[in-house]
Amino acid sequence: MNTTPLKKTNLIQSDEYFLIQDLIFEWARVIDENRVEDIAKLLDSQGRYTVKSRFNHDRDLPLAVIDCHSAAQLRDRILSMRLANVYEPQHYRHIISGIQVTDREGQIIHTRSNFMVVRTMDLDGEIKVIFTGQAQDIIQLHESEAKFKERLMVFDSRVIETLLVIPL
Amino acid sequence: MKAMINPKVWPAEGVSRAPYWIYTDPDIYAREQENIFRGKSWHYVGLEAEVPQPGNYKTTFIGETSVVLTRADDGEVHALINRCAHRGNMVCREAFGSAKRLYCVYHAWSYQLNGDLSNAAFSQGLNGQGGLPKDFDKKNHGLQKLRIARFCGLVFATFQEDTEDFESWLGDVGHGIKRLLNRPLKVLGYDTQRIHSNWKNYHENPRDSYHANILHTFYGTFGLSRQTQESGMVLDKTGRNVYFYTKAGTEKKDANYDSTKTELRSVNDQLRLEDSSILKWTDEIGDGVSVQILSLYPSFVLHQIANSLATRQLLPKGQGQLDLVWTYFGFEDDSPEITKTRLLQANLAGSAGMISVEDAAVCEMTYRAIADGQHGESFIEMGGKDLTSGGSHKLSERAIRNFWHNYRQDMGL
Repeated sequence: MNTTPLKKTNLIQSDEYFLIQDLIFEWARVIDENRVEDIAKLLDSQGRYTVKSRFNHDRDLPLAVIDCHSAAQLRDRILSMRLANVYEPQHYRHIISGIQVTDREGQIIHTRSNFMVVRTMDLDGEIKVIFTGQAQDIIQLHESEAKFKERLMVFDSRVIETLLVIPL
Repeated sequence: MKAMINPKVWPAEGVSRAPYWIYTDPDIYAREQENIFRGKSWHYVGLEAEVPQPGNYKTTFIGETSVVLTRADDGEVHALINRCAHRGNMVCREAFGSAKRLYCVYHAWSYQLNGDLSNAAFSQGLNGQGGLPKDFDKKNHGLQKLRIARFCGLVFATFQEDTEDFESWLGDVGHGIKRLLNRPLKVLGYDTQRIHSNWKNYHENPRDSYHANILHTFYGTFGLSRQTQESGMVLDKTGRNVYFYTKAGTEKKDANYDSTKTELRSVNDQLRLEDSSILKWTDEIGDGVSVQILSLYPSFVLHQIANSLATRQLLPKGQGQLDLVWTYFGFEDDSPEITKTRLLQANLAGSAGMISVEDAAVCEMTYRAIADGQHGESFIEMGGKDLTSGGSHKLSERAIRNFWHNYRQDMGL
């Protein structure tokens, strides 16, 4: 039996893995609890948050439906969502699985994880899976803190149901 | 008890009304496929830049009919029905591809990229048994070919041989395309939005300049488009096709501005962007137009929102659903800087557009509110009641009345 550990298990300590997992879960939880503004605190001020279809990603097409090049741009988008945009009241529930560390450069950790977003409409209670996909993250570890440097959310379907106003 | 009313009679007021059954009736929907989507109209099928090389193909739809756009060996572009001439199986099942022949997996009938049948498997039979009849002529069994028109890198197709020539069909609205698409295009990516409403709820939306600054708060607040800016509308002589334009940076802070401000929810002094770089645009054409929304009957939109450019293809999927396919593009000779600007401004439109997410929401809410389809009608009198009233002012529903005029002619209603 080959007992050589996979390379990625050497990449990270369990306490570091806990920080990373907590960061990914925290992002999802603040959205699901309608505290969407708080995701901007989890993104480095010069960080990037992108939501892109697999259809474009697989074809090396650069278009993303959401592309924020800084935490400020993400805050602007959330402000627009709160004050300007009109949409039917709805909530998300994120289901996250398979958080794996795929690479490491010093305190910069690359991860992949799966997400599923279930949307519930306030008015009629309709429940629908609206997104599945893979998060491709680059995370900066500080002593007891982690922040996203890059969050690339690659969603599987080329189709978006109605609209995307609450971030993933 | 009230007597049954005939639900299929158009209201006596004519084009200033649209009865709600027109959006919800499945029989009407089936007739639209025949009379409009397979009728004497031109339908957008893609960009030449999507099939740049011989052998390239793209699958798409006209109405509910699956269509393949191809580039044949001789460099010509073709639009073919994506249905094997043998037993009707779908020939191309990838969104984009490249092939020497289009090949049906069911019985290995293969076609040239211009649609001609090149081979039917075992057409001669085997050992003198089976095979196609002696009078079988390959020439009669190609993929059905549609008539196409190419214009400024856009490709349109029609099912009918006697559809009016494309450029005269466009009329004066052709200028809105020529002004923007003046050199070879480059695709930046796709966004498909699935909207649960009738296709006409969406079609009316970009023809409706009345709603733009009212519903879309983001627009007005950040100075990209206000009712007080220089703006206008161009309608072709038949009223099928239309574009609206707005020139940013042309408004004066006068009494008119202040009175507009109090009327509109969209001027919201609370809303300030921390990073306004998303709104910085370059006047590439030099005519001052910052926003142009161009709509061709019945299923095509071309937009310029600052430096963001996209086509929107409207694909009906039953009377209660449509897919809106946004194709974002720039030009082959774009600098990395302008490409970055176009991509950044893509945040403003589309499924997740900070300006325009509202459109899909109102289409769906409208469709649900009229869903019983048995009574009621919309009231379309902004700017007047007929096809000419309202002139070219944005606070007018003239372009919507003209849509219903053409629609009724095509539908015999």
